[in-house]
Amino acid sequence: MNKTKKLTLISLLVAQGLVLYMFERMLPLPFITPGAKLGLSNIVTLVALYMFSFKEVLLIVILRVILSTLFGGSLSSFLYSIAGGLLSFVAMYFVKKLGQDNVSTIGISMIGAVSHNIGQIIVAALVIQNAMIVTYLPILMVAAIGTGFFVGITSKYLLPYIKRIYG
Amino acid sequence: MIILYYVKITIKLVILEMEEKMKKLDKIIVASFVIIAIVLGITFKFAFNKDYDNKYIEIYVKGQLYKKVSINDNKVKEEIDIKTDLGENIVQIENGGVRIVDADCPDKVCVKDGFKDKVGNVLVCLPHKVVIQIKGQSSENEVDEVSQ
Repeated sequence: MNKTKKLTLISLLVAQGLVLYMFERMLPLPFITPGAKLGLSNIVTLVALYMFSFKEVLLIVILRVILSTLFGGSLSSFLYSIAGGLLSFVAMYFVKKLGQDNVSTIGISMIGAVSHNIGQIIVAALVIQNAMIVTYLPILMVAAIGTGFFVGITSKYLLPYIKRIYG
Repeated sequence: MIILYYVKITIKLVILEMEEKMKKLDKIIVASFVIIAIVLGITFKFAFNKDYDNKYIEIYVKGQLYKKVSINDNKVKEEIDIKTDLGENIVQIENGGVRIVDADCPDKVCVKDGFKDKVGNVLVCLPHKVVIQIKGQSSENEVDEVSQ
């Protein structure tokens, strides 16, 4: 892949992540638990993980978080997003590296969803200075299995098409 | 009936997908998540679910104790207004429990979170940095058993 192609694809992925983020904001909250989301933007991170190196995916994640804060967020929501986004990306990267052929996008996206929740809970506990918020984690984990499964399947079907165009 | 049929087909497809597409490590990840979630859930539930003679709530704003109110079962309705520079939350106490009835934050997650009456439960309003914690005291030892 040459430099221009790479640049274009990175910007495209960032833009897609933004669109998914905005789309998700419009949906009514599908779960009763506060903090549970579909995590549609994770599709973009997952696809990028299979196409680029560590540095480039990191760039995509950070750009997406900054831009989505500009489009509809506040400083505190930026803190939650960046903590969740970075932790989930690092966790997914290592699971993919360690798992090699034994792990598919489904398992990776579940890891990503759970570590995203953990990152956000840590920041929330620091912001409100109260550790009791950790009691939300079990419910969020169960929700993450469901959302991670569908995000994983979506990425699995998406990857061959993107690879055919840009491979 | 038709809806049920579609639901059935969807479930079948999901199961097929799970069997075909998921690899070894995927299944381990799912299993370990389920186990961890159940263990954590049970731990949290039992750690705080003892018999308490005296239940009270502690309201924290920005990590500092704002107010302490007793919420025993026979209490009549009581409303507390939490006003800070970050915003306003109205807390209602009734039937030995507590709920946030109104807040001027944009998402109102704390209002949707509803009614809580078990020791160890928390209500959180992130934008206003408000935490309401239900605590208990048993008569045998006068020490607060819920640690932070």
